[in-house]
Amino acid sequence: MSLPPVLRLVVRNFRASIDPITLLVMFGQPAFLIVILGTMFNQLIPSVGASGSYVAFLVPGMIASQMITGAVLAGRIFWLDRRWSMVEQIFSGPFRRAEYLAALLLTTLLFSLVGVGIMALVALPLAGLPRISGVELGVILATIALGATFFGGLLIALGGRIRSANLYFTIQSLLQYFLIFISTVYYPVTATTPEVLRVVVYANPLTYAANTVRDAFTHSFGPSDLTAGSVLAVLAALTFLLAILSFRRLEFGPVQ
Amino acid sequence: MNPSREVIVRATDLGYAYRPDRFAVRGLHFQLYRGEVFGLLGRNGAGKTTTVRLLTTLLPPTEGGGTLFGKDLRQCGRAERARIGVVLQSESLDFVSVENNLRLYAFLWGVPREVAKSRAEEMLELFELGPVRARKPWALSGGERRRFQVARELMHEMELLFLDEPTVGLDALTRSRILDYLADRARRGLTIVFTTHILHEADRLCDRIGVMRDGRLLTVGSPAEIKRTYGRLRTVEAGFERELSGPEANDLERLLALEGESFSIVERRGDLLVFRAGNAESLVADVVRWAQSRGIELERIAVSEATLEDAFVKLVSEAPAPAVPLAGEEP
Repeated sequence: MSLPPVLRLVVRNFRASIDPITLLVMFGQPAFLIVILGTMFNQLIPSVGASGSYVAFLVPGMIASQMITGAVLAGRIFWLDRRWSMVEQIFSGPFRRAEYLAALLLTTLLFSLVGVGIMALVALPLAGLPRISGVELGVILATIALGATFFGGLLIALGGRIRSANLYFTIQSLLQYFLIFISTVYYPVTATTPEVLRVVVYANPLTYAANTVRDAFTHSFGPSDLTAGSVLAVLAALTFLLAILSFRRLEFGPVQ
Repeated sequence: MNPSREVIVRATDLGYAYRPDRFAVRGLHFQLYRGEVFGLLGRNGAGKTTTVRLLTTLLPPTEGGGTLFGKDLRQCGRAERARIGVVLQSESLDFVSVENNLRLYAFLWGVPREVAKSRAEEMLELFELGPVRARKPWALSGGERRRFQVARELMHEMELLFLDEPTVGLDALTRSRILDYLADRARRGLTIVFTTHILHEADRLCDRIGVMRDGRLLTVGSPAEIKRTYGRLRTVEAGFERELSGPEANDLERLLALEGESFSIVERRGDLLVFRAGNAESLVADVVRWAQSRGIELERIAVSEATLEDAFVKLVSEAPAPAVPLAGEEP
C-alpha cells in the first residue's frame, strides 16, 4: 500500500531536493541571529513594549520569519525541479499538477514548522520556556501556515514564469531581505518611526504575522490580530491562485 | 500492419501551436499498436519532442486530437499516465546518489520497497551503473547519465514507453545492449515510441517509422517500405576476377556514363567495385555487358537496398511533399 501521491511528493522533496548544506545555512542563519542579536542587543535595549526584554521581543519575530525560510526552500525546490527537468518528468507520471503544487505548499509548511521548532529550541536558554496556551499555539501555527502559503505561493508563481536562475535567485534574495528587514521581526514600530517606513512596514504581510505571534507569546490578542489573520488569509488565497495560474501556463524546456 | 492489433495511441490531425500563428506540429495522423516499436525521425526542430509531449499529455492539443489507451488526450489523467514511461530528451535528476535516485523514483511511482530494491540492482547491472551507484548523477559522464535516465524509467511497470533520443552520447556497445533490451521488452508486449538521429538504430529497432519535417509527418511505414519508396540510390557491388587497372576502370565509367546511368563509384577495394546507382538493375546489366566485351570475368555482383539514411535525406531535404500513407496506415 503506497502513500497518497501528494505525500510521496513531499517525501521526495525532503529526501532529494535540498542538500544538507543549504538546510544548515537556511535554518542556521536565523538561529545564529537569535543567539547573537538576542545576546548583544539585550544588553543595549532595556525593554521592548509588552515583550519585556529584547530577546523576548526577537524570538516571536524570528519564529514568524520561518514562514519565509520555508517558502524560500520550497521555491528553490520548484526552480531546481524546473532546471533539472523533474517538473516535466513528474508531470508525465501518475501525478496531477495540483498534487505537485499541494506537495510544494505542504513542504513549505513543514519546513516552516521545522524552522519554528529550531528557533524555539535555540531561544530556550536565552528567553526561557514560554507559557503558551493551546489556543495561542494554534493561532501561532495557523498564522505560520497562512504566511507560508502566501510567501510559498508567491515564490512558486514567480518560479513558474522566470526562466533564468540568476533572475529568480536575485528576486528571491531581494524579496527575502526586504520583507524581513522592513517588518517588525527585529524592531517595533514606535511613535518615532518615520511615517514612510511605518506605511511600508504595515504593508508587509510578515509584520502582521510577527505581531500576531508576538501577541500570542505575550497573551495579548486583540482585534488587530483578527484583522491580521484575515489579511493573511486573503493574501494567501491570492498568491495560491497566482501559483495555480503560473502552473497552468508553465512552459517546459530548458531554463538557465 | 494487422488491423486486429490493439491501438494504444491514435493521433487524428493532431496539432500544437505555441501561439495562434506558430505551430510546432500540425496534422499528425497515425496510430501506434500494442507491442510495436515506432520511430519518430526528423531533423532538429522537426517537432519530435513536441509530439512526445502531446502524446504524454504534457501539452494539450490546440487542434485535432487523439487518444491514449482509448481515452481522449484532453481527458487523460493520472490513470493513463500511470501506464506510460518517459525518458526525456533533457536530463532529469534528483540530488541523491544514482542508486537512491532509482529507488526514490520507484517510490514516487508507488513500487513496493522490496520490488524497488531488487529492480534497482537489476538496472544497475543491466546498464553497467554498479561502479557509480554511490555517485551523484551530475558527477557521471555524459554516457553514464544517459544510461541512468533510461535505467531509472525502467524502475516501474508500463505499457508504453517514450524514449526521446535515449542513445545520444552512448558508445556503440552500450547502444547495442540497450537496443537489444528494448527489443526484448517490445517482444514481451511493451509499446515503444523512439526518437533518434541515429538512423541505423531506427532501422534495427523500429517496426514502423514516421518521418517529420517542419512539424508535419511526411510519411509512416516500415523501414523497408520507406527505403523502397524513398531511397533513390542502391548499392551495387561488383567483384571481378582481378583488380581492374586504372584505364579499365575509366573505360567502365565512360561506358556507364554513355549509357546515361546515374551512378557513382564509391569505393575500389582490390577486385571489388562499389557503385551507388538510381537504377541498379540497368547498371548491373551494363556492367555485365562491359565485362563480357572486355573478356574480364565477373565473379559476383550484388545489389543491396537503399539505406534508411538515403530515404531520410531525400524525404527531409526535398521540396514540400504531401503526406504519403504507406501500407497499413489509414489515410
